[in-house]
Amino acid sequence: MTDLLIIGGGITGQVAALVAAEAGARVTIVDAQRNAGSHANAGSLHVQMQSRFLRLNPHLADNLESSLPLYLAAVGEWEALDARLGGVELTREGGLMLAETPAQLEFLHEKAGREARKGLDVEILNRDALHALAPWLSEQIAGAELCRNEGKLNPLVANRKMRAALDALGVRHVHDRITGIEDGPHPVAHGARAYAADAILIAAAWGAGALAGRLGLNLSTPPEPLHMNITEAGEYRIHHLVQHAERPITLKQFRSGQVVIGGGWEARTATADRQAPGIRKTSLLGNVALAAQIAPGIGGLRVLRTWAGYNTPVDGKSTIGPASHGSRVFFALPGDAGYTLGPITGRTAVSLALGLTPPVDPAPYAPARWRA
Amino acid sequence: MTRRFTFDGQEITCASTDVVAAALTAAGHRAFRQTDTEAKRGIFCGMGVCQDCLVTVDGQPNQRACMTPVREGMKVETQVARPPLTPPAPRSLTPKRLTPEVLVIGGGAGGLSAAIAARDAGAEVVLLDERKVPGGQYFKQSADTQKAPLDPQQSEGRELQRRAREAGVTLLSQTEVWGAFDGPEIMATSPEAVYAIAPDRLIVATGAYERPAMIPGWTLPGVMTVGAAQTLWRSYRTLPGKRVALFGNGPLVAQVAQELTAGGAEIVVLAEAAPAPATRPFAALDMARRDTGLTRKGFTMLARLRRYGVRVTHDALPHAIHAQNSALMVEYSARGRPAQVEADAVLLNYGFQPSNEILRLLGCDMTYDARFDHLRVTRSSTCETTVPGVYAVGDCCGLGGAPAAMVEGHIAGRAATGASSRPDDDSALRRHRGFQDALWRLYSARLPLPEEAAPETHICRCEEVTKAQLDAALTDDPTDIGALKRATRIGMGRCQGRYCAPAVAGIMARRQGLPLEDLSYFAPRVPIKPVDIAAITAAEALLDDPE
Ligand SMILES: Cc1cc2nc3c(=O)[nH]c(=O)nc-3n(C[C@H](O)[C@H](O)[C@H](O)COP(=O)(O)OP(=O)(O)OC[C@H]3O[C@@H](n4cnc5c(N)ncnc54)[C@H](O)[C@@H]3O)c2cc1C
Ligand SMILES: Cc1cc2nc3c(=O)[nH]c(=O)nc-3n(C[C@H](O)[C@H](O)[C@H](O)COP(=O)(O)OP(=O)(O)OC[C@H]3O[C@@H](n4cnc5c(N)ncnc54)[C@H](O)[C@@H]3O)c2cc1C
Ligand code: FES
Repeated sequence: MTDLLIIGGGITGQVAALVAAEAGARVTIVDAQRNAGSHANAGSLHVQMQSRFLRLNPHLADNLESSLPLYLAAVGEWEALDARLGGVELTREGGLMLAETPAQLEFLHEKAGREARKGLDVEILNRDALHALAPWLSEQIAGAELCRNEGKLNPLVANRKMRAALDALGVRHVHDRITGIEDGPHPVAHGARAYAADAILIAAAWGAGALAGRLGLNLSTPPEPLHMNITEAGEYRIHHLVQHAERPITLKQFRSGQVVIGGGWEARTATADRQAPGIRKTSLLGNVALAAQIAPGIGGLRVLRTWAGYNTPVDGKSTIGPASHGSRVFFALPGDAGYTLGPITGRTAVSLALGLTPPVDPAPYAPARWRA
Repeated sequence: MTRRFTFDGQEITCASTDVVAAALTAAGHRAFRQTDTEAKRGIFCGMGVCQDCLVTVDGQPNQRACMTPVREGMKVETQVARPPLTPPAPRSLTPKRLTPEVLVIGGGAGGLSAAIAARDAGAEVVLLDERKVPGGQYFKQSADTQKAPLDPQQSEGRELQRRAREAGVTLLSQTEVWGAFDGPEIMATSPEAVYAIAPDRLIVATGAYERPAMIPGWTLPGVMTVGAAQTLWRSYRTLPGKRVALFGNGPLVAQVAQELTAGGAEIVVLAEAAPAPATRPFAALDMARRDTGLTRKGFTMLARLRRYGVRVTHDALPHAIHAQNSALMVEYSARGRPAQVEADAVLLNYGFQPSNEILRLLGCDMTYDARFDHLRVTRSSTCETTVPGVYAVGDCCGLGGAPAAMVEGHIAGRAATGASSRPDDDSALRRHRGFQDALWRLYSARLPLPEEAAPETHICRCEEVTKAQLDAALTDDPTDIGALKRATRIGMGRCQGRYCAPAVAGIMARRQGLPLEDLSYFAPRVPIKPVDIAAITAAEALLDDPE
């Protein structure tokens, strides 16, 4: 039996643990229980490219495009997980990227063309088609790109059911913080005590950078503090994941009726390690006001809570694979849209660690790009 | 003057100064809203924190009936769990930025005293309070300012308010604080305006809210806090019901029993958790020695109750409340023997929790007070917190009583303007604190721990999470209260964890054998009360300043 140690118990580490335990490995998750992005995230399943980022960074268009198949596989992985866990409120009614001007819509048109060539199910909706589909949208919205691969789920439910599934498989959970790793045929992770294993998987998001140095990798994983808002429950009307071509917003409604509003507004990095990031007034006001402009119907609800958490975008691309050729220490860092990509990242990385066939070709995501 | 409005189509006539909750109660309605599981809810806290009294007003969902004044012709409807996403009627809220020398939050005994002291010392002072008529819990004013005061307590409060106005304090009523940011900067909303206030000095005087008994049935309409019933009576001259059962611990319970009796209610039981004072002669004597006046007031009150034929049942605790026809049936025990009583309204109060959310948001240090089972903010002798320029007075700092709140108000008000404290303030404060100490020794009682609650008990009212669900989540050994929150949704509702958090923090600390501390509670987050999106949209206009 293989002994597998997973550092980090967010969605990436958990899926790796699930796959490994089901394949018969003896799995331990060691987690610092601090600021997991998986506990703060909003449950959007992203697939289509970000219009604004693409417009501002045309030189990165090929890079972005090359990751699209991974996103498609990631959503498939989530569907399998939804079935495996007995339902995590996953819906795939698609995502809308809204345009307010003809120029924005024209840009979306072009983007949709690229995405369709990569196998995404996309369509440009003119004003009438869009408002028939989403009558709660503001009149100021002129059209949208609909990406039918996108969707959403309830991360609270997913995290709870995931934990129950891991417990049922006998996965061991240890509360500790790893401070160093010794590579070798039987690598050892050091925290409050030492953990020896046949293989170690680093799924530690913002904590990965500090562990990478001793493995000869110049990998930096600064946490990005992000802001979220949630309203009281209303009638379930907003079925799509909603984004804007040029403005920072994600908006969707959980099946509970609560509207979740985010979109990359920044929070304040915490001063103490134990604390969660702090809330910025500008993010609360700006983000919610923008949401109410787009979907005036939510204006009758009240904002119930805000929260902030650490995202770990790294270089925007996943890092998956052994620390070096032949190493028994593996990385599983989803990068951007990490909750979407977490399961596929976890499964791919653990497949490599256990000698199983990975679900996607890991070569483009190899840690080699971080060799010092 | 009267007003007419409709509730689910039925016409209701009430006093022009009523809030919706009082008018509905007077008209015999208890259930105001429906939860996601179609359970009915009504008034619980009576002071705007529990969010269980929600109604739809003229199409605008989720308005608190206990805080919403009636308007002629308004259309009030039972609040459904998930209202339609209809764009609200446009509301023009004026964005206002204020930069007073001193801002006081809360117009109770502590806040009014602080504002007067700061103003008298020459500062420009703004005081805001979420109620229409300030005065706070102790001075609890009549909503009808023309009405003669009920008793000396009310006239004293009216006098304090008058002094504040005459001194030149800018009083902003119906102005609720929902956000606090470093600076400090305070965000608040009134029916007409949204405020961003950056004072030189901040005095927080937000008082306390009541601790309930978590027993099966504590969420039923007609079950409310003792203070909620007191507000119905003292502010709106409305009785919570004809037959009233009171269960609690401490002098407020008997006081409210006496007030309601005088108002014409029939007290079917007045159940006190503590043993009879006669069994604690030393504490009683000590209390009398420290404040003869207040002690005499207490005994007069009990004598008056006896004259009405009401006796205090000591050593008594409620165990469950059932809805029975149109009434409520309470199972309780008195000196270990089971008993039952039927009532129209059941009132609960097992102590107080400080409303310290603003202080915690601003990062003021807190310590846990095991005796009163709540957090106390750390303060200097001038009532300054560990955040420079932020002062805290009264019950938001931990239970202390109205007389102490007033003295603390003087001290902080003077200190905030740079004036030195007066020796007689310091000695008065020592006396009041000594009295409180003796008082609560007299009333000390072993209250049931939340872990002993029956499985069907709601631990989280808002999200309807039961004790059984909490126990199931606890088997995963969550290491912190945040993990428990995510696993169960406890604390994710509209009251922002005000009722469940202290209970769950206690359970976690006892399980882990760790001392309770500030970090044991849910991290406070903006908004501290649910805030209208319309207010946020209006407040965005105040964002021109780079942070
Ligand atoms: C507010 C917010 C909203 C988001 N919304 C979305 C969204 O809608 N859709 C989407 O796709 N993505 C979203 N993301 C991103 C996503 O949440 C994360 O990228 C994703 O959860 C990362 O999962 P993970 O398992 O890789 O890491 P995490 O969930 O961050 O878990 C890492 C774990 O490793 C532990 N750890 C770190 N260092 C150590 C160490 N040295 N020893 C032991 N343990 C350690 C941490 O304590 C943590 O528990 C959001 C992020 C934020 C902050
Ligand atoms: C329900 C209740 C009933 C009580 N009844 C009695 C009694 O009858 N006799 C007695 O001796 N003691 C009573 N007490 C105890 C007594 O109220 C206190 O000792 C005393 O009132 C403390 O004064 P304070 O100024 O600290 O707070 P309070 O008098 O409670 O005043 C706090 C004020 O702050 C305002 N406020 C709070 N939060 C906000 C916000 N976010 N935005 C704007 N305004 C806000 C409130 O509206 C309130 O007016 C009662 C306490 C409670 C909670
Ligand atoms: S009764 Fe209105 S908020 Fe509690």
